[in-house]
Amino acid sequence: MSEMAVFDPEGVDGVRMTWGVWPRTKVEASKCVIPIAATISPIRPHPDIPTLPYLPLRCKTCTGIVNPYCRVDFTAKIWICPFCFQRNHFPPHYSMISETNVPAELYPQYTTVEHAFTAPESHGAPPPQPPVFLLVLDTSVIEEELGYAKSALKQAIGLLPDNALVGFISFGTQVQVHELGFSDLTKVYVFRGTKDISKDQVLDQLGLNASVHRPATGYPKGAHQGLINSALVNRFLLPASECEYTLNSLLDELQTDQWPVQPGNRALRCTGVALSVAAGLLGACLPGTGARIIALVGGPCTEGPGTIVSKDLSEPARSHKDLDKDAAPHFHKAVKFYDNLAKQLVSQGHVLDLFASALDQVGVAEMKGVIERTGGLVVLAESFGHSVFKDSFRRVFEDGEQSLGLCFNATLEINCSKEIKIQGIIGPCSSLEKKGPSCADTVIGQGNTTAWKMCGLDKRTCLTVFFDISPSDRSNPQGGLNPQLYMQFLTNYQNPEGQMRLRVTTVTRRWVDSATNSEELVEGFDQETAAVVMARLTSLKMEMEEEFDATRWLDRSLIRLCSRFGDYRKDDPASFTLNPNFSLFPQFMFNLRRSQFVQVFNNSPDETAYFRMLLNRENILNSVVMIQPSLLSYSFNSPPAPALLDVASIAADRILLLDAYFSVVIFHGMTIAQWRNAGYQNQPEHQAFAQLLQAPHDDSQMIIRDRFPVPRLVVCDQHGSQARFLLARLNPSATYNSAHEVAAGSDVIFTDDVSLQVFFEHLQRLAVQS
Amino acid sequence: MASPVPSGVPRPGNAPPPPPNYNPNVQRAPADSIADGMQNLQINRPPSMPNQPVPGPPPPFAPSPFAATSASSAPSSAPFSGYAPVSRSGPPAGFTRAGPPPTGPPNAAASLRPSGAPPPFGSRPPPPGALPSSPLMTGPVVPPSNPSSVPGPMSNGPPAFASGPPRFPLSGSVQQPPVGPPPVSDRMLQAPPTIRPFPVGPAGSFSHGPPSQPVPPLPRFPAASATPRATPQPLHPFSSASQPSVPPYGAQTWQMQHRQVTPPIPGAQPPSMFEMPPPPNQPMSAGPTSMSHLPLPGSPAAGPSKIDPNQIPRPVPSSSVILFETRQVNQANLPPPATSDYIVKDTGNCSPRLMRCTINQIPCSGDLLTTSGMQLALMVQPLALPHPSEEPIQVIDFGDSGPVRCSRCKGYINPFMKFIDQGRRFICNLCGFTDETPREYHCNLGPDGRRRDADERPELCRGTVEFVATKEYLVRDPMPAVFFFLIDVSMNAIQTGATAAACSAINQVIADLPEGPRTFVGIATYDSTIHFYNLKRALQQPLMLIVPDVQDVYTPLQTDVIVQLSECRQHLVQLLENIPTMFQSNKVSDSAFGAAVQAAFLAMKTTGGKLLVFQSVLPSVGIGALFAREAEGRTNISAGEKEAHKMLQPADKNLKTMAIEFAEYQVCVDVFITTQSYVDIASISVVPKITGGQIYYYYPFSVLSDSAKLYNDLRWNVTRPQGFEAVMRVRCSQGLQVQEYSGNYCKRIPTDVDLPGIDSDKTIMVTLKHDDKFQEGSECSFQCALLYTTVYGQRRIRVTTLSLPCTTVLSNLFRSADLDTQFACFLKHAASEIPTSPLSQIREQITNFCISILHSYRKHCATVSSSGQLILPEALKLLPLYTLALVKSIGLRTDGRLDERSYWISRVSSISTPLAVPFVCPRLIAIHDLISKQETDGSLIPPSKPLFSENIIDDGIFLLENGEDCLIYVGNSVNSDILQQIFGISSVDEIPAQFVLQQYDNPLSKKVNEVVNEIRRQRCSYLRLRLCKKADPSGMLFFSYMVEDKTPSGLSYVEFLVHIHRQIQTKMV
Repeated sequence: MSEMAVFDPEGVDGVRMTWGVWPRTKVEASKCVIPIAATISPIRPHPDIPTLPYLPLRCKTCTGIVNPYCRVDFTAKIWICPFCFQRNHFPPHYSMISETNVPAELYPQYTTVEHAFTAPESHGAPPPQPPVFLLVLDTSVIEEELGYAKSALKQAIGLLPDNALVGFISFGTQVQVHELGFSDLTKVYVFRGTKDISKDQVLDQLGLNASVHRPATGYPKGAHQGLINSALVNRFLLPASECEYTLNSLLDELQTDQWPVQPGNRALRCTGVALSVAAGLLGACLPGTGARIIALVGGPCTEGPGTIVSKDLSEPARSHKDLDKDAAPHFHKAVKFYDNLAKQLVSQGHVLDLFASALDQVGVAEMKGVIERTGGLVVLAESFGHSVFKDSFRRVFEDGEQSLGLCFNATLEINCSKEIKIQGIIGPCSSLEKKGPSCADTVIGQGNTTAWKMCGLDKRTCLTVFFDISPSDRSNPQGGLNPQLYMQFLTNYQNPEGQMRLRVTTVTRRWVDSATNSEELVEGFDQETAAVVMARLTSLKMEMEEEFDATRWLDRSLIRLCSRFGDYRKDDPASFTLNPNFSLFPQFMFNLRRSQFVQVFNNSPDETAYFRMLLNRENILNSVVMIQPSLLSYSFNSPPAPALLDVASIAADRILLLDAYFSVVIFHGMTIAQWRNAGYQNQPEHQAFAQLLQAPHDDSQMIIRDRFPVPRLVVCDQHGSQARFLLARLNPSATYNSAHEVAAGSDVIFTDDVSLQVFFEHLQRLAVQS
Repeated sequence: MASPVPSGVPRPGNAPPPPPNYNPNVQRAPADSIADGMQNLQINRPPSMPNQPVPGPPPPFAPSPFAATSASSAPSSAPFSGYAPVSRSGPPAGFTRAGPPPTGPPNAAASLRPSGAPPPFGSRPPPPGALPSSPLMTGPVVPPSNPSSVPGPMSNGPPAFASGPPRFPLSGSVQQPPVGPPPVSDRMLQAPPTIRPFPVGPAGSFSHGPPSQPVPPLPRFPAASATPRATPQPLHPFSSASQPSVPPYGAQTWQMQHRQVTPPIPGAQPPSMFEMPPPPNQPMSAGPTSMSHLPLPGSPAAGPSKIDPNQIPRPVPSSSVILFETRQVNQANLPPPATSDYIVKDTGNCSPRLMRCTINQIPCSGDLLTTSGMQLALMVQPLALPHPSEEPIQVIDFGDSGPVRCSRCKGYINPFMKFIDQGRRFICNLCGFTDETPREYHCNLGPDGRRRDADERPELCRGTVEFVATKEYLVRDPMPAVFFFLIDVSMNAIQTGATAAACSAINQVIADLPEGPRTFVGIATYDSTIHFYNLKRALQQPLMLIVPDVQDVYTPLQTDVIVQLSECRQHLVQLLENIPTMFQSNKVSDSAFGAAVQAAFLAMKTTGGKLLVFQSVLPSVGIGALFAREAEGRTNISAGEKEAHKMLQPADKNLKTMAIEFAEYQVCVDVFITTQSYVDIASISVVPKITGGQIYYYYPFSVLSDSAKLYNDLRWNVTRPQGFEAVMRVRCSQGLQVQEYSGNYCKRIPTDVDLPGIDSDKTIMVTLKHDDKFQEGSECSFQCALLYTTVYGQRRIRVTTLSLPCTTVLSNLFRSADLDTQFACFLKHAASEIPTSPLSQIREQITNFCISILHSYRKHCATVSSSGQLILPEALKLLPLYTLALVKSIGLRTDGRLDERSYWISRVSSISTPLAVPFVCPRLIAIHDLISKQETDGSLIPPSKPLFSENIIDDGIFLLENGEDCLIYVGNSVNSDILQQIFGISSVDEIPAQFVLQQYDNPLSKKVNEVVNEIRRQRCSYLRLRLCKKADPSGMLFFSYMVEDKTPSGLSYVEFLVHIHRQIQTKMV
């Protein structure tokens, strides 16, 4: 299976499923233990995807789009929708169609095509929308931090395309909206930090409601609307080329928040109001066009709505314990506030990106909803001076190969065969509440809909769709069972250049009667995807369900799965074996149980929220790394090689490179460290040593380079304090209880956690139990 | 602490800066200041004026007028002599009073008057000479002369105080020998006849009057009569010069303040009261004058019309500077009229500028007071501008222990605390408690029972001193001087140029703000949002911070909005220059006045300070938004008459709540209203009133003609002596208690007056009531303690003490009544009633008030004989005129615009005594013939004329001023040369709607400018100049000030006198 990764298991379509073949009935599905789910990367680039410069044909009843799986009657010029079996006539301009002359979207290999339409007649002709960046900067930080943040912003402004619209808001005790289009002097609108402010109030107070005759409709589709707003827009949002100088000098003058901080108190910081104002401003100026609010936050919100902790320093920020015990007085209020903000932003189609840089928590946990539902980026760092922030932030604005491919304002629609119901999506999107026959009764994540809004997405954004099987009585009007199921993902989005695109991905899978044919099921199992889906589902359940015991739930699921698909004799643990398609799964679960996603008490709620958001939006490969880090070993005697994620991999003369996604650890064995400290690598005769030392650094840079957010790089030595970053992720096969068995140069982990081996023993025993 | 510099009040060295005159720079130099001091010193001029035989000019009415009062018959001559004589009698003063004697006048009654003319002059001559020099210092000179003649005078003699040329002759009039002698007499003579005919007419009475005199006894003696005469001459009115004109005495003016009054009294009063030797005068007094009688026809029937308008009492200016010692021979001296020009020597009682009482003797019982019909109240103007020649108030530092105070009532040590027991203890003159003298303050008593160090210690020999406040008087460090400017930039303000005018005014004024690190400034602008500016030096350019939430405001920065002036001067200048252009195209017509004020307040909250707001339109949004009630009022006019006064009540409660909070944090708000429409001053004025600020009103605002005034008003506002975070309390001797304070202040607890800001112009009225009786012969003390912070950050306590004799004799009350103060009191009462009562009721009330005083006098103090006479106490003889003027004033008229009336009310609430009279009863002078007059009389301001439209001739140009506005009326047929000279135009038709007085290169223009400037100095006000012409709204406006005219809604002066007379007669029956 590991080769599959190399082979790009997602293929052209960017779709992976937990099960490659689907059981036909609900009962069978539940016996599969692992839910039927698909992960899709809606706009993942692939060289084989054609771009078609016209609008697609839609089925007149189900809005499905013509695709390679349609049955086409070339003579009658009719195509039959695979989802609803409706017969549709081709329009006149398809009259040339024939077996030898089919349009690209009917080519069998083009299961995914992209339609580009620069002039959607239906909406008039909006020119390409420039991207909009509303920068929101926290000034309630120490001088030094503000300096870092400012220089990051300046750099970012320099990287923006000339036509990008830029706005700037700073906040501390109060919110300051900078009017960039005012030339006489620096003009700032100040909002108090204590008071929640509605969008209409923001409008009023910024003087943006001058256009009394605003059309009633939500999204400004009409060109006249654009014109009315443009004058207003230009007060606060200017093309980067025009306001770069203004912004830079403004940043130069910007001071830290001047309101006094009482001793024993936290600085006042009204993050909530600032974001609310930012949302209001964008809502007023550019509703419905792609825009992102980029918030740089340096501490907890202590003032006004969205407060996560009181001003009083004697009150610590909430921990997981507090949340568990419902002892976090501000939590629910703040979450509610940010949820409302999320609704507003989603309705406006705008993104909130959060760059949190503080030693303390800043409220990522509370803001998770709004970030995730708007498809925003999130980066959690310790300081604005830290590379995790600096490099990540730069990447947001970088162009070219390194570009994140930030797109805006997308909607995802899913069409599928009638037997399939959609429960919902976990990932950076928001339900549009568009009910349809394909909606399942049970909901997971963003559900109750067949359409989702993704205010922001990028080329690696990945969503997890959960399905339910509910065969209808008359599933096939043709009579007889259709052996194939079909799904179609329609993603309408604004690409970084401001053009609207529609990507159509159509996939088919085979139904299987699992009662009779479990081998086929086994063949279709994707254990990596399954592990990730389980991780995502577990995270969701931990957040949503009170008293949810994740470890227990995972264990039971694993045991059930092994019982169902393992080969064994009843009650004989030793006889237990697993098909290779399942063989890695228990190990994934073992690591998942020990991971930050489940063992949350080692982390702050902010960190947990951060980890989960990334887990939910990353592709399968990366997500697997989050669950089960990869470990490479470097030594003189052999080329770099994967090593067991086990404490036994530690050796005095090795260098280990751990990629745990959020952090990359370079771990020098004791001997290596001594040599390095002695400076051998600087001596010509020890060039090999120098190379050895360098190799993991080079590799780590490779990892870091195309990862977003940039992981934290930890370079440490055996027995050093930082070594914990490695040890925490290793299988504790050697603990202080088993120290006598440890090989020389290796290490022990001080833990009572069970080791993989013990875990397996138990698993086998329980799986075979009758 | 002990710094010699007095508090902010009188700025250190310099005398208070002159009024807002144009030359900003001049002011500081002490020398200059004196020169143009608001108080014009006539010091130098006296000589000239005196001599001028004014005769010529006076002719108009001069002579007769006053005559009217007393002995109309006596005609002119009598006039002066009347009273004056009495008091002065002894002294050469004669002139004045003397006058009367001369009376040669035919009339029998005249006896008095006769003396009048001739003699007076004779005698005077001498004085004049003396005076000149003397006015201030020399005083002595005169005395000598007097002495000879009369002992009494001697005492008074200190001619030193010579009566200054009071601006308003009113009271002063008494002294002056007003009218030109001879001419007068002539007239008088003639006049009488006329008068008589109508018994009614004052004249008539006059004639009677004389007769009565014989009887004179006490009643009359009110002697007021003397004064009356003075009145007569129209000419002299105000300008000292003019008086001089009254050749007779012209010069002399100096009399003692006590003047006449005493004499008459003789019997009643202990001689001691006045030094004046009563005896001498008596004869005279008696007869002549005690009071002005207006002969009124006994029978109502008599047509009012028959009174000779020329003989009724009118204000008479005193021309020269009076030198006034507050106490002599351990007696309180009667202060000179508030409107006169005088120099005070503090010899135990405070200067009357700082505190004066409506009656200069305190009735021993409340019943006596009630009988008199008069009010007992103090006008306290604690930081009043001193005369430049007065000694500065001494600052005393008691070190850590603080000033010595009575341990019971907390009264401050003052000259009337009596030390006993070899100085070991002292008795408080306020509460009567006996305290131990603090050891370090102990001093033995001398043989006279006074402490031996009494004369070295200012607190034991001066009526006004300042103590350095010790820590116990500090709640916090003294606040810095914070000036926050708040400017309306709404569309209207921008388009009318109000914003530009305000910015330019502020820009110029910055230079006048106190130097030093303790001066902070801030600035904000507003329309429907509020714009603050960060002026911190580090910034490359000012940063504009907008507070858009006008329902719930806040300040956008904790620091940096208010910055040390020295740190931000450049930014500020630049910003002020930019503001008008920055908002050039502002289309926001809303104005969030309330919110802006609140936001500025929040920015100032930590320090307090002065908030100067420039508002141009009706506040329409945000906290305290108002609506155009005026329009509503008009539509409801039919139903509205009854409730009309409600339109003058504040429409919004928020503003009041805010104002109280401002006051608590020591923020004083001044509002400059530059508008062309209704702004609801009734509501807005609540804020300045409660915070100790004031309203300035420019309506209709014109950039051309109002910019200069705006600048000068602002400049005076920030440069005049003032204090911050002040608390004031008035204590009085047992027997009286403070009933109520009224003025611009915040009342938090009943006994204290909280004043976030207090300045030299603000006056607080303190009404008093009896809670016990006084012993005859005892004295009643009043002590006003003002704890405040100077602009330089020193905490001071200004203690002002006044001790007055108590009396059981009703006539003493009338004799010692202070007309100006009474009237001011009157005015303030009326103003405060306007918003809550129907106008007709107030007018009636005022008239009744006047009637009951006169009735009381008539009933208890005048002889019974002449029922046909209207007998007026000399001291109050102008009361009817003033009352009439008040009834016809803007505030009490129904036809005025709401805002004008509201402004009037708010102006009155803090108006000082000297400005109260002219505010209602303006000064009218002719300026077309300035040159010719000039030549003859040498006084800067020509004599005022009665406010009588018959005097307004078509070929004349007249200037009318009330301390606020200055209307220049150009007759229809004015010589075009004159027009050319004064206005640079050739015909009346070219008169511009907006007017700026310019100086052209010709003597007349120069002279006009001098006159206007002199008036500005006197009033501490730049005056709004407007040109008026006949048959034009502006002309109507001008004539609306002619209070003596008969109008559709009001009586003429003569009719009014008749009306009063009848009422009194009715009451008598």
